[in-house]
Amino acid sequence: MYNSLSNRRSFIKKMARLSAMAAAASMFPGIMFASEQEEGIPEGANLDWKKGPCRFCGVGCGILVGTENGKAVAVKGDPNSSVNKGLLCVKGYHQTMCIQSKDRLTHALVKKNGTYVKTPINEALDIVANKMKDTIAAHGKDSVAMYTSGQSTIPEGYVASKLMKGAIGTNNLDCNARLCMASAVAGFLTSFGADEPMGCYEDIDHADYFITWGNNMAEMHPVLFSRILEQKARRGAKIIDFATRTTRSSTASDRSILFEPQTDLAVGNAICYEIVNNGWVNKSFIEKHCNFSKGLTKMGYGLEDKYKFKDKPEKIDFDQYRIFLEDYTPEKVAKYSKVSVKDIKYLASIYGNPNKKVMSLWCMGVNQHTRGTWMNNIIYNIHLLTGKISQPGNSPFSLTGQPSACGTAREVGTFTHKLPKGVVMNPKHRELAAKIWKVPVERIPSKPTYHTTEMFRAVDRGDIKFIWTQAVNPLVSLPKTSRYRPAMEKESCFVVVSDVFPTPTSDVADVILPAAWHIEKSGLYGNSERRTQHWDKMVEGPGDTTPDAWMFIEVAKRMGFGDLFPYSKENHVEEIYNEYRQFHEGKKHGMAPLEVLKKESGAIWPYVDGKSTQWRFNAKYDPACSNDEDFHFYGKPDGKAVIWQRPYEPAPESPDSEYPFWLNTGRVIEHWHTGSMTRRIPVLHKAMPHAYVEFHPEDAKALSIRNGENIKVTSRRGSCVLPASINERGLPTKGQVFVPFFDENMLINDVTLDAFCPISKEPDFKKCAVKVEKA
Amino acid sequence: MKKRLGIISLFVLLFIAFIVIWNFSYQVGLEEGYIPIENKVSHTNIPSESGVFERAEFALEYANMPIDENHQRTLDTYYNNRAYYGAPPSIPHPIKDEKSLGGNACLQCHQNGGFVKQFDAYAPVTPHPEMVNCRQCHVAQNSNTLFKPSNLAKVHAPKVGVNNALIGTPPMIPHQIQMRENCLSCHAGPAAPKEIRVTHPERINCRQCHVPTDRVVSEITPFTRTNSNENE
Amino acid sequence: MPIKSYLVHPQVGRKVELLDALSAFEECEVMPATNEDILVLVTDTIDEASEELLKEKIEKIESLKLLAMVSGFNSPQNQQ
Repeated sequence: MYNSLSNRRSFIKKMARLSAMAAAASMFPGIMFASEQEEGIPEGANLDWKKGPCRFCGVGCGILVGTENGKAVAVKGDPNSSVNKGLLCVKGYHQTMCIQSKDRLTHALVKKNGTYVKTPINEALDIVANKMKDTIAAHGKDSVAMYTSGQSTIPEGYVASKLMKGAIGTNNLDCNARLCMASAVAGFLTSFGADEPMGCYEDIDHADYFITWGNNMAEMHPVLFSRILEQKARRGAKIIDFATRTTRSSTASDRSILFEPQTDLAVGNAICYEIVNNGWVNKSFIEKHCNFSKGLTKMGYGLEDKYKFKDKPEKIDFDQYRIFLEDYTPEKVAKYSKVSVKDIKYLASIYGNPNKKVMSLWCMGVNQHTRGTWMNNIIYNIHLLTGKISQPGNSPFSLTGQPSACGTAREVGTFTHKLPKGVVMNPKHRELAAKIWKVPVERIPSKPTYHTTEMFRAVDRGDIKFIWTQAVNPLVSLPKTSRYRPAMEKESCFVVVSDVFPTPTSDVADVILPAAWHIEKSGLYGNSERRTQHWDKMVEGPGDTTPDAWMFIEVAKRMGFGDLFPYSKENHVEEIYNEYRQFHEGKKHGMAPLEVLKKESGAIWPYVDGKSTQWRFNAKYDPACSNDEDFHFYGKPDGKAVIWQRPYEPAPESPDSEYPFWLNTGRVIEHWHTGSMTRRIPVLHKAMPHAYVEFHPEDAKALSIRNGENIKVTSRRGSCVLPASINERGLPTKGQVFVPFFDENMLINDVTLDAFCPISKEPDFKKCAVKVEKA
Repeated sequence: MKKRLGIISLFVLLFIAFIVIWNFSYQVGLEEGYIPIENKVSHTNIPSESGVFERAEFALEYANMPIDENHQRTLDTYYNNRAYYGAPPSIPHPIKDEKSLGGNACLQCHQNGGFVKQFDAYAPVTPHPEMVNCRQCHVAQNSNTLFKPSNLAKVHAPKVGVNNALIGTPPMIPHQIQMRENCLSCHAGPAAPKEIRVTHPERINCRQCHVPTDRVVSEITPFTRTNSNENE
Repeated sequence: MPIKSYLVHPQVGRKVELLDALSAFEECEVMPATNEDILVLVTDTIDEASEELLKEKIEKIESLKLLAMVSGFNSPQNQQ
């Protein structure tokens, strides 16, 4: 009786719910409810669902992983996550399939007489600790280095930093975020004095125009792109794709504008010229909130070893800036940028229209640029001149590549010059770190040492004698691997690689440590919109696999630093996060407590009085604003953002008669970075089994190249053979070829150039000169 | 008197000038920027990607369309109308005019679909309306008998509900997409076979979640590492 | 034993807050729309008095803009 009654009640409840949903649907056509997205899960599947962030890109979608009998068997989007609202992409849906790969690294491997010997994890960690200790004793602290990742969790990055900078006392720590976000960081610091976007993803729901700068969002940030497409369909928002290659994103946009590689600097300045010249400047905003500055020019490209550069900022006034811009009239710029005067004026008129909200979005096109910092500055210039910043819908938004490039690399600071708060050059920041780490302040060195490219050059020179890489695959992802692979193979350097799968990097290792994957450990990631997300361990890893943070701690203990790492194996993630939070206390960067992160699908910092701060620097939303004005750029001492005078300078290497093509590299939707995970997911591998070299059909015709034919791409540094792709995924401009870099069997980075932005030290993977011939 | 007239006419003049200038500046203020937005598609065409977002403008309408259960197609009838899986469908109805080309005949119903009373059915939407010589590939069915019997076996077409890699993940695309790049034309609207009608047509970036599995030429071997030391 | 369903409109930008506040009541079942600022609320209470009480409590939530009833059912208690 009770049963039938409760059935009846649940039936009535269902009816009540359905009628309310029907009423909602009549008011808002196309409305979706969280529960509807769960309908696809077969009835009776007795799954246990746990929440977490996705393992792949910087969007940081919330996922729910379904486990059954200790195995991960299903993945779906977390409907409660405001990032993706239940939606994922091809990589996200299938991510857990990689951990069952047959060639998974399940045990430590130690190289003995040229062959790898299976070794118990404790012995392997002994070897690593002893080798590290001996190397320091023989060659000094700066002979050991660690290279981590924007895919390291917050606790992993934190213990890596504490071990290297606090315990050992060397700044030889850098990470692969140097290859993807360094220019964004340098851009934020120079323009605002505070890293990471001022806005958040909710800007998408307010903007009228989306301008993407060299960014194929439909493939690289698909979930956010879908959110934009939704705004296009519902509100008629417009997408303008400004790029060097026609892609799926161009197909979806309202207008696609193509430019000659490197001339984005000039086009950006031309937009500023139009804004100034037409009186579209928001005068009261720049008077109250902006300074003008210029820096050094003709900085070089970092091509030589031990290259050093330090910018000398100099204040200028608005008139000087205005005169500088006169070199960038649309007519002058159109000549070399191949963007028509009309298109430049069109772009400027969108930014200049005070009644339209504009969101600029960019990622690697702007960051992987020998003038990447400048390019970031120029986009901020446009938004600052028009006052379109820090308000819902008016947002220059720097997208991130990796799941925790923000959370770990940038916030914890796993760069050579960084500390969890601030930089090693600043004595106050060193003092704070020393206090929290409980180490003598003198131990933290005040000078940065090697940024990524220089670190591997130092390995090549023999200056670094021990390197430990974690969650990273530099021998596929570095530029000019043709130099750095032989460097890593040298006897002079002992290489330790922590990874989940064998990679070309682990192939040159002396010790390979088996790492636990994402859901096989607990952790925290931080995404592009300053959202910190926590997850609990969901399944057991196979064999001896161990969380990376715990391997660092074990080695630290073996080196005699046990008192600095008093964490417990079961609970170290929580203990480390609570210690780390002390660095960011306060209204400007307060992090949410762990209890909140465990309950909710992430929280955005600054987390003040139990609330996420969605728009920084805007007094309406940000409690850290303290100047009684509408806006306060409190990252700078005088509370003002900087508009930088940044000129156009050519690329270090441009096509010539010998090497007549531009080479552009990038990603595809199916594969994540170097493919070590996604290529082991059968669905994704089948959809995109190998890399290719993409031609413009007219170039292909002129060279009589057919689709699928093997082509040798050669630069001054190396060559690579790949099948040609014509009229498939994308369409490069004439005189340009495009190659995705995920394929370790076709290493395009043997061909690329290791030139970098002198300010951010981020290499340019998007531009070098190559020739092509049939292989 | 003259003086007064002079003053009045001066003021009238000023007033008219004010109105003219005010109107002019008001009109100018209404204009958005000064470059008119062109409506033509500005990007170059990529064949395999071109259709991806076509018909996306109807996505919200598709989402709100009621389902006409009495006139929906099934996957069986869909495949029965094809010589083999992947073949161009034949024309199952009498043809209006043997001499006409697409734009004048077929496309009238098959460009955007809609209910056709004569056949008591919804017209399927073509994924490639830019190709107007329809009968180059689509044949009519004017006889039910064969010239000679044939041994042709129909290869089994992909089934519905078995294309998910994991429980609950979005099904993969089990067919080739050449000339069928535009998903919504077959997977949305009243003419879509009920088994493959998408529940969420408003999510127009289909290949964000649905991976193609059917490669064009050869079988794809599992991922192997060809540069690895271990293979040496 | 009344069961009622409502459409709940949050104050601008406070949907998550409202969702949390409503979820805190045992008698409430909440479903947020993923793409609109609206929630569906189903309340299930023992009797009319507690129903009134709950409604008063809900209406005191600050992030709530509008509560619109869609349907209500009431099964007499003595059936139990």
